[in-house]
Amino acid sequence: MGLLKEHDLGTPAKPGPATVTVEIDGVPVTVPEGTSVMRAAAESGTDIPKLCATDSLDAFGSCRLCLVEIDGRKGTPASCTTPVTDGMRVSTQTPKLEKLRQGVMELYISDHPLDCLTCAANGDCELQDMSGVVGLRQVRYGYEGENHLDAPKDTSNPYFDFDASKCIVCSRCVRACGEVQGTFALTIEGRGFDSKVSASAGELFMDSECVSCGACVQACPTATLQERSVVDLGMPTRSVLTTCAYCGVGCSFKAELRGDELVRMVPYKEGGANEGHSCVKGRFAFGYATHPDRKLNPMIRERVTDEWREVDWETAIAYTAEKFRAIQEKHGAGSIGGITSSRCTNEEVYVVQKLVRAAFGNNNVDTCARVCHSPTGYGLKQTFGTSAGTQDFRSVAEADVIVVIGANPTDGHPVFASRMKRRLREGAKLIVIDPRRIDLVRSPHVEAAHHLQLAPGTNVAVVNSIAHVVVTEGLVDRSFVDQRCEDFDTWAEFIAQPEYSPESTESITGVPAAQLRAAAREYAKAGNGAIYYGLGVTEHSQGSTMVMGMANLAMATGNIGREGVGVNPLRGQNNVQGSCDMGSFPHELSGYRHVSDDAVREVFETLWDRPIGAEPGLRIPNMFDAAVEGSFRGLFVQGEDIAQSDPNTQHVNAALSALDLLVVQDLFLNETAKFAHVFLPGTSFLEKDGTFTNAERRINRVRPVMTPKTGKHEWQVACEIAEAMGYPMDYDHPREIMAEIAAVTPTFAGVSFDKLDELGSVQWPCNDAAPEGTPVMHVDGFVRGKGKFVPTPFVATRERSTRRYPLILTTGRILSQYNVGAQTRRTANIAWHKEDVLEIHPHDAEERGISDGDEVTMASRVGTTSLRATISDRMPVGVVYTTFHYPATGANVVTTENSDWATNCPEYKVTAVQVGLKPGGVTAEAAAEETPALAD
Amino acid sequence: MTETTETTAPEIRLINDIAVQFPHQERDAAATAIATHIRMFWEPRMRAELTKLRDQEPEAFEPLALAAAKLLE
Amino acid sequence: MTTVYVPRDSAAVSVGADDVASAINRATGDDVTVVRNGSRGMLWLEPFVEVETPRGRVGYGPVSASAVDELLANGLLTGDDHPLCHGPVEELPWMKDQQRLCFARVGVTDPFSTTAYEEHGGLVGLRRALELEPAAVIAEVTESGLRGRGGAGFPAGIKWKTVLETEGPLKFICCNADEGDSGTFADRMLMEGDPFCLIEGMTIAAHAVGASEGYLYIRSEYPDAVAALRRAIDIAYSQGWLGENILGSGLRFDLFVRVGAGAYICGEETSMLESLEGKRGMVRSKPPIPAITGLFGKPTVVNNVLTLASVPKILADGGAAYSALGVERSRGTQVFQLAGNIARGGVFETAFGISLGELINGYGGGTLSGRPVRAVQVGGPLGSYLPADRFDLPMDYEAFAGADAMLGHGGIVVFDDTVDMSAMARFAMEFCAEESCGKCTPCRVGSVRGVEVIDKITGGEDPDGNLALLNDLCELMTEGSLCAMGSLTPNPVRSALDHFPDDFTARATRTEKEAE
Repeated sequence: MGLLKEHDLGTPAKPGPATVTVEIDGVPVTVPEGTSVMRAAAESGTDIPKLCATDSLDAFGSCRLCLVEIDGRKGTPASCTTPVTDGMRVSTQTPKLEKLRQGVMELYISDHPLDCLTCAANGDCELQDMSGVVGLRQVRYGYEGENHLDAPKDTSNPYFDFDASKCIVCSRCVRACGEVQGTFALTIEGRGFDSKVSASAGELFMDSECVSCGACVQACPTATLQERSVVDLGMPTRSVLTTCAYCGVGCSFKAELRGDELVRMVPYKEGGANEGHSCVKGRFAFGYATHPDRKLNPMIRERVTDEWREVDWETAIAYTAEKFRAIQEKHGAGSIGGITSSRCTNEEVYVVQKLVRAAFGNNNVDTCARVCHSPTGYGLKQTFGTSAGTQDFRSVAEADVIVVIGANPTDGHPVFASRMKRRLREGAKLIVIDPRRIDLVRSPHVEAAHHLQLAPGTNVAVVNSIAHVVVTEGLVDRSFVDQRCEDFDTWAEFIAQPEYSPESTESITGVPAAQLRAAAREYAKAGNGAIYYGLGVTEHSQGSTMVMGMANLAMATGNIGREGVGVNPLRGQNNVQGSCDMGSFPHELSGYRHVSDDAVREVFETLWDRPIGAEPGLRIPNMFDAAVEGSFRGLFVQGEDIAQSDPNTQHVNAALSALDLLVVQDLFLNETAKFAHVFLPGTSFLEKDGTFTNAERRINRVRPVMTPKTGKHEWQVACEIAEAMGYPMDYDHPREIMAEIAAVTPTFAGVSFDKLDELGSVQWPCNDAAPEGTPVMHVDGFVRGKGKFVPTPFVATRERSTRRYPLILTTGRILSQYNVGAQTRRTANIAWHKEDVLEIHPHDAEERGISDGDEVTMASRVGTTSLRATISDRMPVGVVYTTFHYPATGANVVTTENSDWATNCPEYKVTAVQVGLKPGGVTAEAAAEETPALAD
Repeated sequence: MTETTETTAPEIRLINDIAVQFPHQERDAAATAIATHIRMFWEPRMRAELTKLRDQEPEAFEPLALAAAKLLE
Repeated sequence: MTTVYVPRDSAAVSVGADDVASAINRATGDDVTVVRNGSRGMLWLEPFVEVETPRGRVGYGPVSASAVDELLANGLLTGDDHPLCHGPVEELPWMKDQQRLCFARVGVTDPFSTTAYEEHGGLVGLRRALELEPAAVIAEVTESGLRGRGGAGFPAGIKWKTVLETEGPLKFICCNADEGDSGTFADRMLMEGDPFCLIEGMTIAAHAVGASEGYLYIRSEYPDAVAALRRAIDIAYSQGWLGENILGSGLRFDLFVRVGAGAYICGEETSMLESLEGKRGMVRSKPPIPAITGLFGKPTVVNNVLTLASVPKILADGGAAYSALGVERSRGTQVFQLAGNIARGGVFETAFGISLGELINGYGGGTLSGRPVRAVQVGGPLGSYLPADRFDLPMDYEAFAGADAMLGHGGIVVFDDTVDMSAMARFAMEFCAEESCGKCTPCRVGSVRGVEVIDKITGGEDPDGNLALLNDLCELMTEGSLCAMGSLTPNPVRSALDHFPDDFTARATRTEKEAE
């Protein structure tokens, strides 16, 4: 395909059933009530000239190019700000309008550099286009008048430049920053001719509140805000529609290439998850895919102390297969296993779990979702009947009260956060349940109605108290409960116990009872109450209990089964949902069906021609335990850095060191590869061909932008290992893998590459009952029939602060970095976050003599690490916080073996630690003294 | 107390973690639920190790965990 | 006991009224009370001191502090004759010929005296309004024919009706007191001289449309008006004229003062709303109109000071009485303001229909310089220039519109025959360039180019081509601008060109001749 240009209809769509019919230049067109004349015209096939209007932003009416004449009205109203009325007759092309439009363009061009031929936006500039469209032939004012041609250029951002000399002050960037992104970092400063775009208060973009989401660059009609890659590489010539490989939002992008070179990633307006928006990672941080650190050839070594030896694919695959088989011969079929990756496509994941179940002949397959959202799988399956968020992202626009629990969307899921903030600005109420004062608690035009700042590890006590208030204050939605749910009475009796009253739990959670009651009433009485949660819910020893607690609460208040409500996990990685759907858990086949189910097994056994074990296999932590103990000796790891990301590093290292064969497939020689015997180079998302499934169950196509740099697709590698082990898996194309997934998985029965190409994306379940997918689940009934109330006792974690380890460490992430940082650390995103820091409350810092910027040690009962401290009152006293984007931080050196009781998801969020100044460490004061010397 | 858990066998730690989650159910029902959970989610060699440990060092088990372990073959 | 009045109005204070008051206080004993009233509006007589006598209030002016002792010695306290004495104030033709409805108490009473306010007809309108249903109040206002005094002349009753009929739990009354037009000062004088009147008018409006909160947006250049309103609001609350259960009626209305930051554009109603919301003062496009989607997106009445201050009298005497005054569709009275090069400047409230010439030459006494009047600008810096041969024009919205001019806020600025009208045209563009909010292109860029093109014309650079370009630019600004700022700026330019074309070419011709 050539360069995909999306038709800009000028103003946003106005939803609504009522329509009006108008006549534009004699052509009748019927549009929803409230539609602008400009959009109605565009829909009728007439694009009215415009510069300040774009359909991602509310009409503004500033450029005055889009003037029209309307029968029976005086003057020449702007078509962008004028709504249609029934029977209206509009003329968009008259001599008078032509003259006015030329007059406007004449003014614009009188203050614009005439360097079109050498401008980076040449060919992609709306100002240039409009000069042509209105037929501008002369600028009678000349070019010697007052102008902005010497306005400065801001090159502080690593990804885009701001060239004020080319600015036409249309405010699209300012509006995009506010309306689309919700950051409000940009403004217009000055008045009249002195009006200029300004980041924060006249600062450089990099020094401002700007989060580099790219919305302003996207909105800019000229070369004023321009990707530096376009300046360097030139205007792209073709587009490939694909899906971002960072977080679980799953944004759709147009990868724009010049020849075979990727120039830029442009968010796609039709993308169901992002609707044209993006964040700094997806929009700009794709450079890792071509980073020199990438390994492109297979490598093997006998012992981890040996040097790596590059080999061809054949050798590597034969070596791998032979070693796996040898281990099995010696130690039994169950002595090996595999871990699938939530960063790989559904098709890649599916073949790896098939490799394990059919070729390895056991169920020892698990996925990295084990360490993030496995409690979601357990909890939602128990209560609703399937492991998935109930809503699509669009649904948040209908929510009246939004509850955010243990999630930090503005950093972790920024594009969804923008959608959420838009709704909050419209007046929806926000309840934040988090130990940390995340940005959402108070940011421009958004303020939480309630911030329940609970002690880490007390989620269940809080959700139980909220439910207690609902039940004891008569706020239960009786008709919903009676018609749609079961086991309510037992649960209600359980939850109404005095021990769960807010007054009783206050001393445990630290949340004032009155505040909790107010928040509970707010949620219960909301027309539509929606819960969004993250790893702050799941990564606890009671993670599964908490998921069920939220499900109970949503059912009790009738907040399930329609737009604007629901219980929604915000998934960490791009394909967490998909990797779980694909049967990556050791106890489940695809579509969340237990291996003990004979009928389900039979489907697979027939198709695969291999027996499937009826007993569950090992989970990741069990694999580590079994490796240390000696019964588990070979592991295939697909695209995951377990040595950095899994808890209790010491224990993980011991396990990995004990393996006879560790096969790592990855882009980079990661921390895990230090223990590996075989390294199989992986492909980046730019090379992959397949599908990702995002947090709203949306299956998006991932299309290859380039051929695999390694010479092989990852699914091919898995198939060839299987074949070398004596089990042929023949596919010519990933579409065939999806066809097999559809054949064996009822919820995917209607999914195919053809359908995805046709519809853009679908949300599962997609089958005969829902041929175009299911945006909102459990509408008429729950997947399991009736929603099940499950009592959720609060059992405190074993991890307690003690005199020796008096602080509680909790972890999170930051906007510019992603997970273990393997990708983002290899991009210019390091400009925002060069290292992980320890956030510590001023009081705790003072007690320890720690100043901002000091190097400190952090010790738990399992390990010690060191990092730099940042004094912050976002955390309550007694709680410290860090991120784990850098291996050097070793956050997991201190995390423990504690895990969720039901799923063994690690308890990353609660670790008792002690923090102190690092002996011989660099203090902030010393660092400051050194700085001048380092400056050159 | 937390200092000692590292030396405990993982299977004992895990079943104890599960057992404490069932204080609201009466003992027999709870033991059955725990045993069912373990059958659903534990790999056979872990279950074998568990029954072995049950017989070797029952004192390391929470009472309810022990009751559940006894329901396993 | 003798009462002496010394205005506290800032126009009077600027020429020494405070010193005069102090001097009188110093020189007299307890038997003399000095009341600080508003200004009568005869600014050439300020500081204008009045003394209560059996003949009525006798006025002296202009009085300087140094003249006080001599005046006291010569019988000021008894209203004795003196070269500075003008006799009974109410008998002065300037005062006698006015029809002071809006300004009835301005200059007469102590602006903060609640008893004086009630003694002089205050609260009658509000009390009557509170007895009526909201719709009936609006019917009175509609019947009165009252139109917005800010300049646009939109019928107040229609605006209020829209707000009343727009459902909403929260509605606002916003008073636009960002009086920025050149040659206008009536808003300020009313706010300083009779703030209760404005508060009463806003309260009536609140009752009429169902609003519970009001905002007074006052320009920062009016610190005395800001202080006066704040003080008056405090007093009003203490009297039960504001707050909960106003005058026992159950009406709740809270009123707040907000101070602008010096942008002319914030006198444009949508910019003012943006500014009130704490944002940059930038024009909003309409629709939606503020009556439906106004302050913080709620239904909002936005009216000028004089509009709201006219309301108590309308309610007190009935809409019909008000509507009996005036001509054509311009009903009631307008507070005209005489300024610029004029012998007798000040405010003159009278019914619509008086001629421009009567105001300027009759009451204003012609130019201060004594030279002939050459041009007048009516309606602020965006109003048209009229030549002296249009003095026959009646002060009437439609008559002015018919003459390609506008009445605006009633400000009249007079120029004598030394004025260079091309410089005035240039100034109009310059003013627009200075005060444009910067949102729309015709205004933001056009005004700057306008200055440049006029300079080219007067500099003799391709006069025909540049005159044509200026004409096109004026058309573009008129037709294409987002708000009145840009679309009215061509008024002074075009009227200067139409009425005084020689001023634009004369200099060029001179230059040419010199070149020869």
